[in-house]
Amino acid sequence: MQNKNNIILSSQDTDNIVLETKDITKVYGKTENRVVAVDSVTISLQAHEVLLIIGPSGSGKTTLLSMMGCILRPSSGDVLINGKAVSGLSERELPFVRRRYIGFVFQSFNLFPSLRAVENIELILRLKQTEKEKVPGEAFKLLDMVGLRKRADNYPEDLSGGEKQRVALARALAGDPQILLADEPTANLDSKTGLEVLRLLRDLAEHSGKAVAVVSHDPKAETLAHRVVTLEDGKVLQ
Amino acid sequence: MPVQQSGCYSEQSSSSVQRVKGVNAEMLWLAFKTLFHEKGRLVVTLVGITFSTVLVFTQAGMYIGMMGDATALIRNVDADIWVASKNIQNIDFSYPISEERINRVNAMPGILWSERLIMTWGFLKLPDGGLEQVQVVGYNPDTTVGAPWNLLAGHAHDVKGGPYMILDKTAENRLGALTVGSIWELSGKRMKLVGISNGIKSFTTSPMVFMSYNQAQLLPYGPVRTNQTSYIIAKLEDSGTKDRVVAALRSSMKDNDIYTREDFIRKTILYWTVQTGMGMGFFLTALLGLIVGGAIVGQTIYAGTMEHLREFGTLKAIGATNGDIYMVIFSQAGMSAVIGYVIGTALIFLAKGGIEKAGVSIYIGTEMIFILFFVVLLTCFAASFFSVRRIRTLDPVTVFKA
Repeated sequence: MQNKNNIILSSQDTDNIVLETKDITKVYGKTENRVVAVDSVTISLQAHEVLLIIGPSGSGKTTLLSMMGCILRPSSGDVLINGKAVSGLSERELPFVRRRYIGFVFQSFNLFPSLRAVENIELILRLKQTEKEKVPGEAFKLLDMVGLRKRADNYPEDLSGGEKQRVALARALAGDPQILLADEPTANLDSKTGLEVLRLLRDLAEHSGKAVAVVSHDPKAETLAHRVVTLEDGKVLQ
Repeated sequence: MPVQQSGCYSEQSSSSVQRVKGVNAEMLWLAFKTLFHEKGRLVVTLVGITFSTVLVFTQAGMYIGMMGDATALIRNVDADIWVASKNIQNIDFSYPISEERINRVNAMPGILWSERLIMTWGFLKLPDGGLEQVQVVGYNPDTTVGAPWNLLAGHAHDVKGGPYMILDKTAENRLGALTVGSIWELSGKRMKLVGISNGIKSFTTSPMVFMSYNQAQLLPYGPVRTNQTSYIIAKLEDSGTKDRVVAALRSSMKDNDIYTREDFIRKTILYWTVQTGMGMGFFLTALLGLIVGGAIVGQTIYAGTMEHLREFGTLKAIGATNGDIYMVIFSQAGMSAVIGYVIGTALIFLAKGGIEKAGVSIYIGTEMIFILFFVVLLTCFAASFFSVRRIRTLDPVTVFKA
């Protein structure tokens, strides 16, 4: 019998590939209203790399990222984490996969306004089962990593856009996930702050071994990514 | 141990990824932080719950208090059986019966003792010349069965041997100050006040006057005449024989209604509650309080849920389950319910004295506090239903939208 609370996706160590999509397609609607948002996309994401996904609006970037993050189920094809298919997991099981393996960074930060910066991180650490006594220390360590220890007691409303995104990044790192998925992380930031956030993501990939996928329109992102995938009409351009 | 298709995924008891039982505690903590961070919303919610609590408490408390008044005499007389005129509706409106019927009751095997009790009406002349209608209870001062039970001054025997009466202190608002030894005029008959009881009221709100059975029979203009009584009340040798004795009395006294103490209490309560429509009035007002309070709570919690949809979506995306987020919503509803209920209950206790001083009976008992707490709590949880439904259908993909 399977215990949904203890899902472990053990690495099969296939060239450092942490996440793969195999021929995944996402179709919305039926018959004449049918829209193919993502069409037979096969990509891989390795540890120590930043993969940039670019493309015009409506090309399916966010849909692809949602499927990579196990938030959205593909209509066909498979998503593999550490070589193991997760598409077959039930709706009850997928949250535990996301909790264990994936960290998200959102365009609008999505911090809890009622929680201080450090508490935003603590909440996710606890949600991700970090031992209770280690939570405060871990949270401060993560804030240190993004250079915001001094702002630990501030509420999100008292932080600048860049600070909010850095807290969100620290939160995404809570629980030490292998994969970081970032959706337009610089869209609400000025140019300088955006660049800082992108550098942070690259540092995390290079020095902490994270596998980072970024969806972005920001031209600066291309200079900091290790690989770039371009989507158009749901397909990867060769 | 492989658990799905081979090589797909496996489970193991790694402490680092176990779903710790403390997650719900985290959701409780988040609920607490969010609730108290948004003070304006909290105040609106608490006003709704407090209003609801006060309204439900006053309505339920007044209803129970008034039903307590309506049945006070039946509950405080130590009798198992009440014999009354045929088709009586409640204890206050009795029709006289022959007092000799007491012999039939006494003759019934299983009866320990029986007594006559008069319930009639009179007009008490006030010091300023005005008249106040009063409810008169005539009892045997030798046995004191039917006598006032909470005396501040005098004794139940004191009404014996003359035109003496006992009045209740709660009637002072209407009668003026009561002084033992003062002389009053009741239905044209001079009566001396020999005792003062406390807290004895009738449902009709007319002041209660206690006097001897004989004096009640002599009261001018009343319906009860000499050789007549309102009730014959009896005590059983063995309360286990109640049904048998009542059946036998009903068979031998077909012109009378025979009730057990419990049945007579029930009949009186049903009369005032259902037949007069008064109970429905109280019930509807209490229900309205719950609905209005519930609507305020539901609206504020739903508005809060909608406002935090993005954060809840983020939690879902990160790996919280629907159950974890329901926990946040229900915890907020529960915390609001507890705080609002405590404030509402405190207000009721503060106002209770004033309400009673105004002559309105209000009952607030421990069991009522617990029952109403669960009613208010359930209302708040029910009010959260729409928020929970919204979360259930919340697609975490929405968190990627700007």
